[in-house]
Amino acid sequence: METYLKNKKLTALGFLLIHAIAILIFTRGFLLTRTELPFHSTCSDVSLSPCLASPRSNHDSSSGQSNQTQPKCWTKPVVDRVIIIVLDALRIDFVAPSAFFPEPKPWMDKLTILQKLAFANESSAKIFKAFADPPTTSLQRLKGLTTGGLPTFIDVGNSFGAPAIVEDNFINQLVLNGKRLVMMGDDTWTQLFPNQFQKSYPFPSFNVKDLDTVDNGCIEHLFPTLFKDDWDVLIAHFLGVDHAGHIFGVDSSPMINKLEQYNSVLEKVINILESQAGPGGLHENTMLIVMGDHGQTLNGDHGGGTAEEVETTMFAMSTKKHTTLVPPEFDTSSCKQNKDGNQMCISYIEQLDFAATLSALLGISFPFGSIGHVNPELYALGSSSWNLDKSDLGNSGTQSAANEWMKHYVDVLCVNAWQVKRYIDVYSNSSVVGFSSDDMSRISDLYSAAEQNWSNSVKHILMDRNGDDGSTDISALLKEQIAEYLNFFSSVVELARSKWTEFNLNLMITGFGILVISLILQFLAVFHGDNSYAVGSWLSTGAAFTLFIVTIRACSFLSNSYILEEGKVANFLLATTGLIKLRYSVMRKTMRKEAFMFLAMVFVLRVSIDIGLTKQAATSQFMSSSPSWMLGIAPDHPALTYAIEIAPILSVLILICVLYVAIAKAPNEGVWKYVTVSSMLLQVTGGRNRIPQTVYVIGLVQLCLLASARMFCTEKDKNWAIRTVALVSACSSPVILLSGKQGSMLALVYLVAGYCIMRLEGVERRTKSDGQSKFSKLNPLCVVQWSLLSICMFFASGHWCAFDGLRYGAAFVGFDEFVLIRQAILLTIETFGFSIILSVFGLPLLIPVHSQTPQAHGEKRHQLFQMYMLFGVISATTVTATILCVTIQRRHLMVWGLFAPKFVFDVVGLILTDLLICLASAYYL
Amino acid sequence: MKEAKKKKPETSIGVSISALGAFSVYLITGLFLAVGFWVVRDKYSVDLISDPSLTLRLLWIIEFPIVVIIYSLFRRNPEKCSYFRAVGRSILGLISGALINALGAVSLGAPIGMQSLPKTIHWSFLMSVFTVVPATAVFGASWADWHRVFASLKPTGNIEYMILIPAYGATIGGWFGAWPMPLDWERPWQEWPICVCYGAIGGYIVGQMVSLSLMILLRKHKSLKLA
Repeated sequence: METYLKNKKLTALGFLLIHAIAILIFTRGFLLTRTELPFHSTCSDVSLSPCLASPRSNHDSSSGQSNQTQPKCWTKPVVDRVIIIVLDALRIDFVAPSAFFPEPKPWMDKLTILQKLAFANESSAKIFKAFADPPTTSLQRLKGLTTGGLPTFIDVGNSFGAPAIVEDNFINQLVLNGKRLVMMGDDTWTQLFPNQFQKSYPFPSFNVKDLDTVDNGCIEHLFPTLFKDDWDVLIAHFLGVDHAGHIFGVDSSPMINKLEQYNSVLEKVINILESQAGPGGLHENTMLIVMGDHGQTLNGDHGGGTAEEVETTMFAMSTKKHTTLVPPEFDTSSCKQNKDGNQMCISYIEQLDFAATLSALLGISFPFGSIGHVNPELYALGSSSWNLDKSDLGNSGTQSAANEWMKHYVDVLCVNAWQVKRYIDVYSNSSVVGFSSDDMSRISDLYSAAEQNWSNSVKHILMDRNGDDGSTDISALLKEQIAEYLNFFSSVVELARSKWTEFNLNLMITGFGILVISLILQFLAVFHGDNSYAVGSWLSTGAAFTLFIVTIRACSFLSNSYILEEGKVANFLLATTGLIKLRYSVMRKTMRKEAFMFLAMVFVLRVSIDIGLTKQAATSQFMSSSPSWMLGIAPDHPALTYAIEIAPILSVLILICVLYVAIAKAPNEGVWKYVTVSSMLLQVTGGRNRIPQTVYVIGLVQLCLLASARMFCTEKDKNWAIRTVALVSACSSPVILLSGKQGSMLALVYLVAGYCIMRLEGVERRTKSDGQSKFSKLNPLCVVQWSLLSICMFFASGHWCAFDGLRYGAAFVGFDEFVLIRQAILLTIETFGFSIILSVFGLPLLIPVHSQTPQAHGEKRHQLFQMYMLFGVISATTVTATILCVTIQRRHLMVWGLFAPKFVFDVVGLILTDLLICLASAYYL
Repeated sequence: MKEAKKKKPETSIGVSISALGAFSVYLITGLFLAVGFWVVRDKYSVDLISDPSLTLRLLWIIEFPIVVIIYSLFRRNPEKCSYFRAVGRSILGLISGALINALGAVSLGAPIGMQSLPKTIHWSFLMSVFTVVPATAVFGASWADWHRVFASLKPTGNIEYMILIPAYGATIGGWFGAWPMPLDWERPWQEWPICVCYGAIGGYIVGQMVSLSLMILLRKHKSLKLA
């Protein structure tokens, strides 16, 4: 018998391990993680690079365009001011001419001013097709644009809760280099960069139905600011197109109105810039960039990785007139003829390169974690200013000007390559999951080849600097060098993308497969040693219904809507089981009171879940509104506030009475009783106490006491009920304390509902035949009810499966300073306290207390083990379903907003459940 | 127990009904349901989606009399219980059945705000017409019959099939009808109680068909047994 039970304990441990391995493997494939490095680039870093060999100061003086007055950082600044206008969710076909698309649509060709400027002769403006890396949500994109990296779902190193970017970024570099920033529009910017802006005019962005507040605020501040000289970089973020897409879709009149409004705004902006563009004017050397942060589908959704979502656009214009000098080898533009036969060209850029290119243009150090390269065409728009005077030399002059430009560009690329290589090296050394050594050596080879070439061609440039007529020889050398660098960059980006943006489907499927196998094993474990009962009894209505409920719940995770309303769904199913039980109790003419009480408790939970949903709807971007459930009582009615004050105290008192009754029934049970009594005392203080630390300490001491009692007096106690009560009461006081005011009420509801489940446990059985004679069989339906109840408790206690649903405040109950482990434990207790900790430890309460004979004890142990296994199977099934759905929906629009948080919560819940089942089976069996 | 069962068909079932009769009853109730929908659409020019509470009210007001009139003909103990008494008790049954249905719906998650109250009330009246009213008209307050038919699922005779199976069908159909509600399709029919109504009506009709085929099957079975 003892070895048998030992095996059982090992079984629980085994499942914990299997689940952990499966989840680890799956997570490696699914949850792309990236470590944020705390390093920052500084101007002096560049002395470490090989590029210092370039005698740039001499070079500058020789070209007659000395910028010695301005301290140079990494590269020579080529534009003075930058205006970045971000139009959220700007699709490529809003800007590019309709000739580029199979058929013209009503929303195309609305931003005519941009097209007119870009396709005019002698233009210093260009339209780019910009590629945004998924996840295409505004926050991740802004982070990607400013850091020049590839933000993933979990950027390890994120600050606790606050979204501010701690990684080195373009905005930060601007501030370090003494540039002055002005921001207006979407308040996401001020969340990401709380202190960096000298002036900011943020407007709330979360109300999707509001198309105009942010835009009007932007417009109101944009035009006056354009006439001021107290800024170097201006950021204006318009949200109207994004919101119009979300509400009305792309093919709608509000969208077209928005685009027309933007056209007139942009026209006005460009007029102001051109009027000030003369020598000595405010905008003598200003660059205007109009860009989208991501695209959108025709329904206005974004977040995923489809072509419509990742293809956005960028328009760049310099106020200095010149002709573009990019050699054809590095020209990525694709051209079409318009109706009048004019050539229209659109270039290509990756948003990844934005931070590096703008840093190069403004002459600041590149963000430390940027893996982009300086885009030749965008760089050429600004950088040709210094060789403008040479371009009037005719054909050979153009040639030498091109060489001159390439010299600059290759110089910039050298610094850029050095910076990217440094980041990759540092990342690989410091990150937990770095790059593989093969990849690293390949990249190092490419880099050293380019470097080799560089030191050769540097000499040529050095030699040829004085004789200024550039030969084709130099030009070829430079082109070769640029090509080598670009090759290096593209392989780095390819590696980074495969690491940070692509799911590893093999790992995901392996993890899922292991989980399915463990599920089957666990299912068999439920039956193990269950020979006395024929399989036929398992195919009873109860078992079939259990299977039905679990399957329905599992399938419901396929839809994002059901995940959003998971609490309601669980409650619906719980109420259904309650109604079934009611039917049986009416049929058997017993326990009708309990059945009705159970339904009443379900109703209370349901109201509580509704309240939780309203909280969720306030912050969630996916839930528009929640139905009003209030019965028309004003929330600040005195009677109501009084009731809110008094109810927790009342329910604590009732809880204590229940505990008292529970221990009064069972005499001479030593330690268990003392623990329970002390819990009672604790709850009196716990509800209102100012010293929660005491509660934690006493809770811990109680648990230790229980564990030691279990170890030293195994033989005496045959009664679990009292042991369970002791354990649950010891756990409950911290949980109730952390849950705040509602905690004690929910605990009471939980207790009553659990009692009803226990009483109704055998109601559908034909009571007379096997209820008393034999020991009662395991009833799967009541375990399902218990598990559904625990899920309802999770939602009813005001949680939901999203990171903004975590109650960070609870982590600081009783503590002021932040210690990661301690606060994480408190947060876990608060989040999963009711739904997992109490429900796993309280499971033995479901075993009805009829017979106390010794031989029944062994049976009971077996039954308890089965119940734990069944509970484990039910949790594992839902998690497996979640994992399957996440795998299927990995390209879904809401994968990062909804499925991934749900996955994280479920997985953490499953591991915790397994762990607690291990502990519980060690304690009870 | 067996004796009681044998006795019942002789004494307590007043008027027995053939499968054909049941079919015509179903036809009439279905027809009146259709008439209800027609009246709602043509006379009031609303439908279930645009004005659910008015539609539901008209539906149950039209459906209720016909159900009462028909099922009261099949009342138990016709010699003791007059036709009008059967009608009277089914009005009581309507109200109490509505209460039970409303409580069930609310515990399953129906909205409880003030603005959805009339919808819930009229929906539960309609559900009551489908589920409870026929049974009250036939059984009255005979708890034993109720218990035997609804809880123990042991109907005897065609009339009890006609009561039991459509009632369960409507309930289960309504239960399944609630499933599309959380989906984010943003269709107007996803509102409470529209799709639940469709589900209940669908389940009711399916239940009628099932009960008809059961009647036919069981009769054949019986005749086979007899032969």
